[in-house]
Amino acid sequence: MATFVFGYYAALIIASVILAYVDYKKWFLMVFSLLLVSFVAGIVGGAGALEVITIFVAVLATAAAVSYAFKFFLVLIAKPNLAKELKTAPLTAAFGMFVIFTYAVAGIFAPLIAPHGQAEVISGAFAPPDANMLLGADQLGRDIFSRIIYGARNTVGLALIATLGAFFLGALAGLLAAVKGGWFDQFMGRVADVIMSIPSLIFALLMLSILGTSTWVIVVVVAVIYSPRVFRLTRAVAGNIVVMDYIEAAKLRGEGDWYLIRREILPNSTAPLIAEFGLEFCFVFLLIAGLSFLGLGLQPPTADWGSMVRENATLISFGDITPLIPAAAIALLTVSVNFVVDWMLFRSSGLKEQ
Amino acid sequence: MTKKDNDLIRRIAEGAKKGQISRRDFMSYSTAAGMTAAGASSLWATSAHAQDAKRGGTFRWGIHDGNTGDTHDPGTYVTRTMIFLAHTHRSYLTMINGDGSLGPDLADSWEANETASEWTFAINPNASFHSGRKVTANDVVASFNHHRGDDSTSAAKALLSDVEDIVADGDTTVKFILTGGNADLPWLMTDYHFAICPANDDGTIDWQSGDGSGPYKIDSGEFGVQFSLSRHEGWHGEGAYFDKVEMLTLNDPNARQTALVTGDVDAVSQVDVKTMALLQRDPNIQVFNVPSAGAITLPMFCDTAPFDNVDVRNALKLSIDRDEVIEKIMFGAATKGNDFHHSPAQPYWPDDIPQREYDPDQAKSLLKKAGAEGLTVNLSTADSVSAGAVDMAVLYAEHAKAAGITINVVREPNDGYYSDVWLKKPFCLVSWGARPTPDVMYTLAYKADAAWNESHWQNERFNELLLQAKAELDDSLRAEMYREMAMLARNDGGTVIPFFNNFVYGARGNVGTPDNLAASWESDGGRAASRWWFTD
Amino acid sequence: MNDLLLLVLKRLGFGLLTLLVVSILIFFAVELLPGDVAEAVLGQGATPETVQAMRDQLGLDRPAVVRYLEWLGGAVTGDFGVSAVSGEPVINAIGDRFVNTLFLAAYAAVIAVPFAILLGIVVALLRNSVFDRVANVLTLTSISSPEFFLGYILILYLSVKLPLFPAIASLSSDMSLGELLHRTFLPALTLVLVVTAHMMRMTRAAIINLLASPYIEMARLKGVPPWKVIVRHALPNAWAPIINVVALNLAYLITGVVLVEVVFVYPGIGQALVDAVSKRDFPVVQASSLIFAATFILLNLAADVGAIITNPRLRHPK
Repeated sequence: MATFVFGYYAALIIASVILAYVDYKKWFLMVFSLLLVSFVAGIVGGAGALEVITIFVAVLATAAAVSYAFKFFLVLIAKPNLAKELKTAPLTAAFGMFVIFTYAVAGIFAPLIAPHGQAEVISGAFAPPDANMLLGADQLGRDIFSRIIYGARNTVGLALIATLGAFFLGALAGLLAAVKGGWFDQFMGRVADVIMSIPSLIFALLMLSILGTSTWVIVVVVAVIYSPRVFRLTRAVAGNIVVMDYIEAAKLRGEGDWYLIRREILPNSTAPLIAEFGLEFCFVFLLIAGLSFLGLGLQPPTADWGSMVRENATLISFGDITPLIPAAAIALLTVSVNFVVDWMLFRSSGLKEQ
Repeated sequence: MTKKDNDLIRRIAEGAKKGQISRRDFMSYSTAAGMTAAGASSLWATSAHAQDAKRGGTFRWGIHDGNTGDTHDPGTYVTRTMIFLAHTHRSYLTMINGDGSLGPDLADSWEANETASEWTFAINPNASFHSGRKVTANDVVASFNHHRGDDSTSAAKALLSDVEDIVADGDTTVKFILTGGNADLPWLMTDYHFAICPANDDGTIDWQSGDGSGPYKIDSGEFGVQFSLSRHEGWHGEGAYFDKVEMLTLNDPNARQTALVTGDVDAVSQVDVKTMALLQRDPNIQVFNVPSAGAITLPMFCDTAPFDNVDVRNALKLSIDRDEVIEKIMFGAATKGNDFHHSPAQPYWPDDIPQREYDPDQAKSLLKKAGAEGLTVNLSTADSVSAGAVDMAVLYAEHAKAAGITINVVREPNDGYYSDVWLKKPFCLVSWGARPTPDVMYTLAYKADAAWNESHWQNERFNELLLQAKAELDDSLRAEMYREMAMLARNDGGTVIPFFNNFVYGARGNVGTPDNLAASWESDGGRAASRWWFTD
Repeated sequence: MNDLLLLVLKRLGFGLLTLLVVSILIFFAVELLPGDVAEAVLGQGATPETVQAMRDQLGLDRPAVVRYLEWLGGAVTGDFGVSAVSGEPVINAIGDRFVNTLFLAAYAAVIAVPFAILLGIVVALLRNSVFDRVANVLTLTSISSPEFFLGYILILYLSVKLPLFPAIASLSSDMSLGELLHRTFLPALTLVLVVTAHMMRMTRAAIINLLASPYIEMARLKGVPPWKVIVRHALPNAWAPIINVVALNLAYLITGVVLVEVVFVYPGIGQALVDAVSKRDFPVVQASSLIFAATFILLNLAADVGAIITNPRLRHPK
């Protein structure tokens, strides 16, 4: 233990000195403040606290290293134009892209990657992790790791399609309403009001009870439930743009609605829409989890992260981490998507300073 | 005795104090550890009965099933909150005691004529409603008529279908005249619908006011949220140790569990079996695990292909690994089923019928015989049926694969499961509450013309025996008939019964309970409020 | 200001129309649901005769349109009927619960809205700094977990491990305000965690979106300090989308909290609505749905009026 503590401080001090010598101010500040924090943490929390810090820093460093490498990889394989853009991407965005890429691979090649089937019962309930099962077993003795991998395919696929559907419906209606105005605007606004004014869980409960719970019904119902949110936002953003003088000018030029939407309004309203996409994506996850709370989600034994959290949620009170794993899978993806979204938002806002 | 034995006995006694060991287990452990039976018996008394029942305190009781749409109408009782409330603020003619025997509640005594077709109940003259009025035979008649007649909307109507007339004979005697013999009628009186309410002048009952003759009277309450009650000082029974009772509806399993752990409630009516073992580690909590007559059934329509072939039905019965189901779905808190709906917790249970085990090979050969190899069936279920119902279906599907059977698990919406799926889909998963006797159970769901004959099973011999057994007052002859019926249901019937679930519920360490807990409902037959007490 | 008043009146008129459409939709959706109130109330105890008897008593055999019109006739005169299950007037059945819901929503909103907007402005100011990233990751993580799960975690740490707050938010009428705030703190905090991220991110996005505009560039070149650029120049033009998202989230606080109510055993209107749907208790479903719909419409109207006030160009549609 003593060797670890000694080595820990030695490594930090040497790193600070080297960084100070080569004059990397930003890095030096980070390492040196970590050293100061470690002094306090070491006194208060002992060697244990230092170990936690080490693990935390190691995870961060690994993530950063992987992101850096992945960014380089993307720049290499991308076309020149795209590569130029990618070079400007911050590390967080690269990390986001890496996670999305990993999830995509996991989802697409799930049957090849997962060591066991998603429904296969291979051991006792809540068996601890071993060489065969990386994350242990769930309440029926199914491999949690395999189910997470399959969940990437089932849950992410479903959420992605539903979110895209919601955006297609909502944004189209919002843009048209902004451009056309008049009764069409009013009518779409009222339709959106009607859908939104019925609470989403109740709305889904009613619709799915009537229409059945096949996957496509779920996708359509979720898309319809979320499209008014997109509609309202698009309408608000586009509404601000429509009153601009350049739109007036285009109208006087005799441009059609489609031209206005495609060439004038859409490019100027993408930023808030993209920001919204990242969030709507995770709301859709949560709605699907909520639906399975009411017994209306994906059909078992299909692995679905939302239900995986729900099934074992009570265990969290006893410090069991089983329900945290799928929750973390959802959180990691949302955070990653939003990292990428942030970068795109930043680019489209036209800000040049970093 | 060696030192090790002494240690063991000390630990067993410790367990008895905390209520983790039943009396029967206690006796067998202690005698195994080298004690004499008499010694064990007295040790049991000193450890488990160290404190006598004490009066006082407010009992806060979290109940696992309640709905905003509940009402005081006994004909539409359906949630646990209402059933337990009924056992707390109203009375029944008879009640099921902790040891499983039948005891008096409002009725002091009862007797039948020799064909069991006419029963006379004597009402306890001390019984009074919370409003102060005495309970009379009139109230009893009106309360039962609430469940009879053409315009009755009571869910218990079918139970009284063979009651021809109910008449009051003076203020304290009620006669039930039946169309045929029914030796089980006094048991039937414990059904949760048959709560006695005050009669109105026109022969209807006043259920709206919430008045009753039970141990506690309702001070205030909101359906689906909570009820506050205080002791009814003129109660005719024994017990009712708490001064006040608060019944809280806690539908969320985690809310119940944390409320018990943090001491926000003194007892909960259900503990998530998943966390049962973890909860037991808490020294301030007692977890009760009581075998019951409640069951999970998987009925198949015997008149619908492919289930119209008895070999297919038996193949499906052979394709479920009951041990694994009990271990993984109920975490051991269940009694293995044997495909006849008669639990060891009920009277007349035949104990010599061979247990059906998981045997995919035999299932395969049965299917071959039936020409139904590679059978594919849909099994409907929903999360709301019971905890882990969907998981259980998934597990069953895995087991059946070994027999070459494909079971597609169809998760139906929780909402409306019993109106849209049960009795409508040919193969589904059903949860049955505990019924007091095999006759009640078989008459409800296995009789040829029963409205709830969930497996559409028609067996002449079975139906003949059912009627004979019902009117038979000789216990050993009756037991013989129930044995034969069990064999018929097991080998010809259309219902897979994987297990009888235990009731798993909990209380804080300072709650005292009797040695035996009734197996009719959770929380000591739903009567925790009048049977339990605080030890500090 | 007159045209604004006219607009509000017009929107209120449309709001009434929306309510009518919602009531029709809800009525027929409940009609289309498999099973009816008689079957739902009797549950496992339903037999053909008892179901028929109950249908007769409730008048369910008459045509759906007639029943709807009857209900509508009552509703426009302020009579929302009686619950089909308990026979109690609907107003009594859900009135108190709606007040409870409003209280919890207000509690959460008072914390969440200023906090989210302030945080949004700060991270826009410190964009791409470590603080921005950390705030981002934390808020995103909080909304990526199902809300019942967030509730469980809060209960574990703030109620079981550290007994600071009660795990159950059951109410009684004789509580003081302080006690009430203490008792309902955990559900309110859960809701704050759920809605903050959305509002904060929209504030940040809306502000950053404006930072490249020429007038901001101008202000910056004039040497206006960064915080002043954002608060004085960018923020006023970013209000429209922010107000919109705030309105959305306020509405969510009132209508979308069923799961939080279940987890903390809070007697709000969401649980009453879910119960009523499962019992097919049409008058209660209808009344609760209309309360929700009216909430949405009023909040949306407020958002639109807010957007118009903050962007005068919208006041004169060309």
